[in-house]
Amino acid sequence: MPCKDFEALLEQDGLDPLPLAARSHLAECSACRNLFADLSVIVSSTREFPAEVDPPERLWVSLRAQMAAEGLIKQSAPASTEKAAWWQALPSLLTPRVLASAGVGLALAFAAFLAVHKNPASVTKTSPPAPAVARVQTPAQPAAAQQPGSPAPLAPAPAPQMVTKRRSTPATSATPNFKPAPSADVYGGMLAGSQDPQNLAGTSVEADASLRQNLRIINEVIAECQSHLKKHPNDALAREYLASAYQQKAQLVAAILDSGRSEQ
Amino acid sequence: MIPHLEINHRTVLSAVGTTILFCVAASAVAAPPDHKEQHFAVKGRPTVVLQNIVDGRIEVKSSKNPEVVVISTSSPEKVAIDLEQAGDRIDISATGLVNSMQPHEVEADFILTVPEATELQLKTQTGLIYVEQVNGDMQLESVAGDVNLKEVSGYIIVKTTGGSLKCTQCTGKLDFASIGGGAQVLQSSLMRINLMTATGNLLYDGEFVRTGIYSMKSTKGSVEVRFSPTDSLDVDARSLTGTVDNQASEFLRPDAHGAHHSRNRGNSFFGTVGQGLAKVELSSYSGTIRILKRP
Repeated sequence: MPCKDFEALLEQDGLDPLPLAARSHLAECSACRNLFADLSVIVSSTREFPAEVDPPERLWVSLRAQMAAEGLIKQSAPASTEKAAWWQALPSLLTPRVLASAGVGLALAFAAFLAVHKNPASVTKTSPPAPAVARVQTPAQPAAAQQPGSPAPLAPAPAPQMVTKRRSTPATSATPNFKPAPSADVYGGMLAGSQDPQNLAGTSVEADASLRQNLRIINEVIAECQSHLKKHPNDALAREYLASAYQQKAQLVAAILDSGRSEQ
Repeated sequence: MIPHLEINHRTVLSAVGTTILFCVAASAVAAPPDHKEQHFAVKGRPTVVLQNIVDGRIEVKSSKNPEVVVISTSSPEKVAIDLEQAGDRIDISATGLVNSMQPHEVEADFILTVPEATELQLKTQTGLIYVEQVNGDMQLESVAGDVNLKEVSGYIIVKTTGGSLKCTQCTGKLDFASIGGGAQVLQSSLMRINLMTATGNLLYDGEFVRTGIYSMKSTKGSVEVRFSPTDSLDVDARSLTGTVDNQASEFLRPDAHGAHHSRNRGNSFFGTVGQGLAKVELSSYSGTIRILKRP
């Protein structure tokens, strides 16, 4: 048997008991003997690998430090000494009368600041829309965005007042034909937050917390499945859940790492 | 009297002047959010790809107009929003320009108006993804935000980490994968669903299309289906350490196909409604599986 055929045989059948022709070739050819020995070592070493390698603790420490450095984890910032010195020097610079006036001014300025940020209509007014903007303006948008003299909307959106509707509609009213079962309470609060647009916008802190919390959940699930499988090694359903949990964990870790890279 | 009046006058003038100064300063410091609106004319069935790397909500609704309208509201000078059109594909991305530890500091909200037949790929970190009356395949991803779909159809793929899904009056196919989020599918007529979560609760209260396949799996949460007596389905329910709560046993025949008699125990059940044309697979590791008849 030529060396080429021997290699092809190894590729096809692996290290299973070799046929007689291959064994005789192995006895004669030192190169193939070395190849066979190397492959045997590799295969036996691979079998000794654990099924799942938990990431080392230093990875999480490094990840946490990196997220803290990028501001994804909230940390207490030291007070500015420059600011304190400025405030300390302020009384010596101003007379009591001017200070009183400044106090009134501050109060009014704060009120103006609040008015600017609490009233969405005033925010919309600050950005002058083009005539085409007004043409597709949806009912959910404030009418203030439409400039005087601009044409009326050509085609009203088929889903009018989306935001307003969801604000005023209770979560359960979307299913008038289906009487909720007693167990529906489980779902009642699940999406309650999503009905109020004011509660919808989140933060990176929230996303980070969610990722970490769900990583803990998955680790618990994996530990639980592993514990069950130690007692019932042939339980196919538990194996199925363990495989799913590992897959979810891999995706979650990838999402965390990916998020860290995107912030750089 | 006169000096007293002069002093008061000076005080008032000083207060007014300071107020004006502070108002100008406050306006300069606290700039209003960037509000932009752009229109993209499209010819056929557009594809909208939105990658919101920062936080914020995404709202999509449809119109009869052959155009995609993108309205964005973002933190001024803290978020970069890029929009690009390549034929009928609209790419939108929002990325943070600063690292922030403050809530609501770096975020971008989007309102999209698209033609009814539109493909969507939306991704955000937190904040709701809301899609209404859109017909097309869509892939929606969120970390902590919920996904709310109403009257959508197509092949719908939803992936979240902790966010939940609510799908009302949906048709087509639905894949949902989450770790902490649950899913409610209501008043829908889906050909195929595949719901999977680790700790969330799953609920299907819709039509079981004949030849449809419905798979719902929650590791620790509950799994619940509600069917009508006129439906035609096979139910295969298995919970490893939890229980199967069959509250519709009078409508479920033990086995129409003769292969699963032995598995009808406390945490495992097989039953048939009608001819058993749809296939319903319910599974949980430690959660409760609940089977109910719709009133």
